[in-house]
Amino acid sequence: MMRRGGPTVERFSLAQRVEHFVLLLSFNILALTGLPQKYSAADWAQRLIAVFGGIETTRRIHRTLAVILIAQGLYHLVAVVAGRKRPVRRHDMHFSLADVRDLLGDAVFLAGRRRERPRFGRFDYRQKFEYWAVVWGTALMVATGLIMWFPIIVTRWLPGVVIPASRVVHGGEALLALFAVITWHFYNAHFRPNIFPMDPAMFTGQIPVERLRHEHAGEFEDLKARGLAPPPSHPEAQAEGKSQTD
Amino acid sequence: MYWLILLVAAWILGSPQPAVAQDNESCLACHQVEGTAITFPDGALDVTINSKKFAASVHKDFTCTTCHTKHTGYPHPPRTATSRRSYRVVAQQVCATCHADQSKTYELSVHGRGLRMGLGDVPLCTSCHTTHAVIKPKSAAFRNSIPETCGNCHADDAVMRRYGLRPVYQAYVEEFHGVTTRLYRLVTPAVRSPSAVCYDCHTAHAVRRVADPESPVAPANLLATCRRCHARAGSLFATAWTEHRIPSLRHSTLVYLAQLFYLILIPGVVGVLVVLTGLDLWHWAVTRWGGRA
Repeated sequence: MMRRGGPTVERFSLAQRVEHFVLLLSFNILALTGLPQKYSAADWAQRLIAVFGGIETTRRIHRTLAVILIAQGLYHLVAVVAGRKRPVRRHDMHFSLADVRDLLGDAVFLAGRRRERPRFGRFDYRQKFEYWAVVWGTALMVATGLIMWFPIIVTRWLPGVVIPASRVVHGGEALLALFAVITWHFYNAHFRPNIFPMDPAMFTGQIPVERLRHEHAGEFEDLKARGLAPPPSHPEAQAEGKSQTD
Repeated sequence: MYWLILLVAAWILGSPQPAVAQDNESCLACHQVEGTAITFPDGALDVTINSKKFAASVHKDFTCTTCHTKHTGYPHPPRTATSRRSYRVVAQQVCATCHADQSKTYELSVHGRGLRMGLGDVPLCTSCHTTHAVIKPKSAAFRNSIPETCGNCHADDAVMRRYGLRPVYQAYVEEFHGVTTRLYRLVTPAVRSPSAVCYDCHTAHAVRRVADPESPVAPANLLATCRRCHARAGSLFATAWTEHRIPSLRHSTLVYLAQLFYLILIPGVVGVLVVLTGLDLWHWAVTRWGGRA
């Protein structure tokens, strides 16, 4: 079970948490209104579309949420660009060869072939993969979605085949995103035995120092070096945290 | 003079209207019995009338003898048709008595010409409109199930191959227009699908071969046909058309490659994620119960 006591440090700002919540909401509603269109021959799909009140309303909901997601994506770009000059945590999501090494090292460690776990920074390779998958996936979904939404404008410049191709890509990418969220995000943020039923960091914005020390050792040391990390409160917290995460 | 008045009175009073209901009922006395059929060498022709469906049809106020002019009494006059098909072919001349325009258009269509050539598969009036359950073609029920109506033949590989055609139904129902129409038919059946159904592009009674330069879907006319709904479509718009084909390396190559890409990518990515998740769980289980690691 998740330990809630002990000192914490901020992991996500309020703005980031709101962003995540908007993403969560739009992703789910887009999936709920999009998948029954992809699988329109299935019984469950027809029942779901009936719940929304027919295909026209389903599409209207889908497009409304798409606009919200696009707006959020644009906001995110602006926020990242505006925040890039900050001295601390600048390249948090920067993906590099070190992450590939971390992945391989972690796999070897988890398989029990090595005693030392790689020391992850603020975001480990799993979180970076997820982040970039969301960035890439959203860009692709927005592009293909807009092509289908405005076929007449698009075919002023592009050959028509991009429209049926976009339908395929939009559906394939949606399925990929859904499976990735189920096998990866749900596991890493909900079903991992030491955080089940969920990692509250994204909603409280805080992470216990004790957990940070184990799961993001690199960042913990960085914070300590800057004098920003409060020490873990009491010894048993330390002991328990250790047994959970090692 | 007296006789003349009497004659006119008899003509007015004796007009056929009151006799009508009685007339239909006497027919239904036999024809309502389930399984009433005429046997032909090429199959049985069911002549059972579902009076409920007939009462819901556009012809509900007609008497049986309006169309079945010779069947005014029993026993019926001897049949001239020698097969089920020829019976139905002759019977559709009845439709032309009122629907002359549609009938003439049909006769000039690829279906009508096929009928004159004696082709056994081409649709008759009743193939699409039914015999005794005719509903308004403008109704949502009729329009939304047009793909299935045409699909009766155009989904059938064996029938299509006889005429050098491809079955197109399956590809259509997966296209955007087809998906929309299917969802209208199944989810909101009382509303007419605004999406293109077969006859919007191919026409209903005037359907021609796609290769016929006068066909609205002939390559030269395709864009103009698209523009009937997509008024501001540009010259490249019609190139989005996938010709009711399942994408392949030869046709709609980009679409096919996109399908192939995701067919490989999805299991590949999910496989890696599942392995990593499994490793994580394995490590947790070993730490908890295995006493090592």
